[in-house]
Amino acid sequence: MHNKFKSIVSVIFISFYFVLGMFSQTSPRFSFGKTRLTITDEFNLSNNLKVYRGQISEEELDRTHPILGTIQIDELELHFTPLVPFGWNQEYTFIYNNTIEYFTLEIPEAYNYLAVEAIYPSAKSLPSNLLKWYVQFSHPVNEVHVYDYIRFINNQGDTLSRTTLSLENALISEDGKLLTVWIEPGRQKRDLIPNKQLGPVFENDAMYQLIVLKNIKDRQGVSMQKDFTHLFKITYADRIQPSMGSFKILPPENNDDLVIFLGESMDYGSTLNSMKIINAEKQEIYGEWQLTNNESTLIFTPKHPWKKGQYQVLIDSRLEDLAGNNLNRLFDSGVSILDKKQLCDEYKLEFSIK
Amino acid sequence: MKTLVTFIITLILFFLTITGNANSSLKANFTTGNPEIKSINSMTFGPKGILFIGDSKSAQIVAIDVSSHPKVDNSKVKIDLLDQLIADMLGTTTDQIQITDMAVNPENNNIYLSVHHGSGTAILFKVDNNKLKPVSLDNISHSKTSLLDPIAMDAKDKRGRELRKWAVADMQYTSGKIMLSGLSNKEFGSTFRSIDFPFTKEQNYSSLEIYHAAHGKYETHAPIKAFVPTKIKGSSHIIAGYTCTPLVIFPTDQIKPGVHNKGRTVAELGSGNSPVDMIEVENEGKRYLLIANSNRPLMKMEFSDLEAYEGSLTTPVIKKGAAVGVDYVNLPFVNVQQLDNYGPSGFLIVQRESNGNLALKQGRTWWIEK
Repeated sequence: MHNKFKSIVSVIFISFYFVLGMFSQTSPRFSFGKTRLTITDEFNLSNNLKVYRGQISEEELDRTHPILGTIQIDELELHFTPLVPFGWNQEYTFIYNNTIEYFTLEIPEAYNYLAVEAIYPSAKSLPSNLLKWYVQFSHPVNEVHVYDYIRFINNQGDTLSRTTLSLENALISEDGKLLTVWIEPGRQKRDLIPNKQLGPVFENDAMYQLIVLKNIKDRQGVSMQKDFTHLFKITYADRIQPSMGSFKILPPENNDDLVIFLGESMDYGSTLNSMKIINAEKQEIYGEWQLTNNESTLIFTPKHPWKKGQYQVLIDSRLEDLAGNNLNRLFDSGVSILDKKQLCDEYKLEFSIK
Repeated sequence: MKTLVTFIITLILFFLTITGNANSSLKANFTTGNPEIKSINSMTFGPKGILFIGDSKSAQIVAIDVSSHPKVDNSKVKIDLLDQLIADMLGTTTDQIQITDMAVNPENNNIYLSVHHGSGTAILFKVDNNKLKPVSLDNISHSKTSLLDPIAMDAKDKRGRELRKWAVADMQYTSGKIMLSGLSNKEFGSTFRSIDFPFTKEQNYSSLEIYHAAHGKYETHAPIKAFVPTKIKGSSHIIAGYTCTPLVIFPTDQIKPGVHNKGRTVAELGSGNSPVDMIEVENEGKRYLLIANSNRPLMKMEFSDLEAYEGSLTTPVIKKGAAVGVDYVNLPFVNVQQLDNYGPSGFLIVQRESNGNLALKQGRTWWIEK
């Protein structure tokens, strides 16, 4: 009897273990990073892995769409690589072999948060028909609806409306760090309907703040830690074309930098892209251009020491001042003037090294 | 009788050869591989299942061959919570994604959506039975051309520093040419380009300056936000929409490099607004222009009215928000973010509905009737 009982208990025990073995939901061993979820489970390597955004309950799974990604099996590990990297502070759910697991990538303590490093124009006093701003970020900025995070506030604390040109595709430099913001040209350019009906964006003799809201994100989806604020004063409209006559060149001596005084603050983006130096043999002199003194002075540091001889600074006629006036025309030029005028594409400044 | 049969067979073979040659000539310089698309700012279909992608980040236009994608029955297409769906599929939040364009293959009504993710990733989706399927761009038959002119490319090689960048605003294919409008990050101007297709090494590259007279005193060379190549009274024209919101027409044959091209403003569609997309739709023998807007409902304009309007608006609109010029009808579709043709007389939209739902859906042909 005792043996019989032992046999029955053994059968029940074995059966229980068998059933448990078939349907048990032991947690898989897993690890995760920004670009990969790895499951280490030597007995159940298969592709039945699905990853979801958020903390999803079993009941909700059917109503939720799994994250797109690729699965690879590498020896005894299974890797899931999402189509776009996992986000910081974002909860995720994965289901593997009928087991639900959750994970979250916490932002590292030493995370290098996005910040505004510079703003152009940097001068505190600006013309009312100012056309562009450039925001220099510390690292690549998230482009999705990026212009929604730029605000202009007047001295009374009111947010100005319809200030910038809203572009579906953001204008960002190749390194992802310099954002171009156009002040609504229709309001800055005289006689257009927005200008007639709403007037220019900024009023003379008034103080304003440019604010980059802290909820702007970097490409990792992480926001800035605080708003960036830049205070500036508006003066009268600039309706004078930049002129070659006001450019003064300070020829370098020995291995000095070349300095060009521009006579007024110029547009950051167009100025840095409008200059080129050639020698008497028409060979380009390579080096670094820098704008200083509220973007009114250009400094050129040659890559190699200067050699004696004649040089020319070639200046693209599209070089603009802060109001979009270039070497060939005013931003809102008259129809008849522009039609008749013969324009050249490039201007020259000469200097020599003795 | 035998002669007739032989003639018909020869005719069929000739026709097939011509079609085959036309097909192969368009894709003759296509190669299979990774076109290294970094952004999808604008899309449009050409013939033979060729999808053109405007990639501002890589400063290139890429033509990809999607003719092998099987035809999907999209006759009952309707996807609600489209942004939520995309965010779920990318494991992200809706504020991290942007639908940058939508294109419908006119040959089979397959629908494509391009999405930009905040990480800088561009994704192309195909709509399949009201679901989204990603289209891999890693190994695809393609041909591409640079948007940098040869001088700029040379300069970039030498100096290795940042050059002018510009964002593609709209792109259309017509009669062997890709036309593009865009805006530079350095100068405010009308950048309108025409590039021959198939792309060649000796690229016929035209950068065109297009102006429209802004009320007599000052003229503007603002960038074109959306445009359609079309026929006005039988000759080729471009209908262009600008911010705030003049509608301007240009005779295509007069737009030439180095020529100061000035268009005729035929309508002002109200201030505080910007055109988003424009298409031409034909129904029951009548042609209509549909314009999706940032701050106005979907507009329907009859081509017969456009053609009949011979004037040019030269005086400012005084009444705030008022529209003048060629007449149009507001259709009951607000916040239309994407618009394209669907079939010969239909249209497809991505619309933020009044309840907040972002929906991909068809507009009923009923609206495209007299």
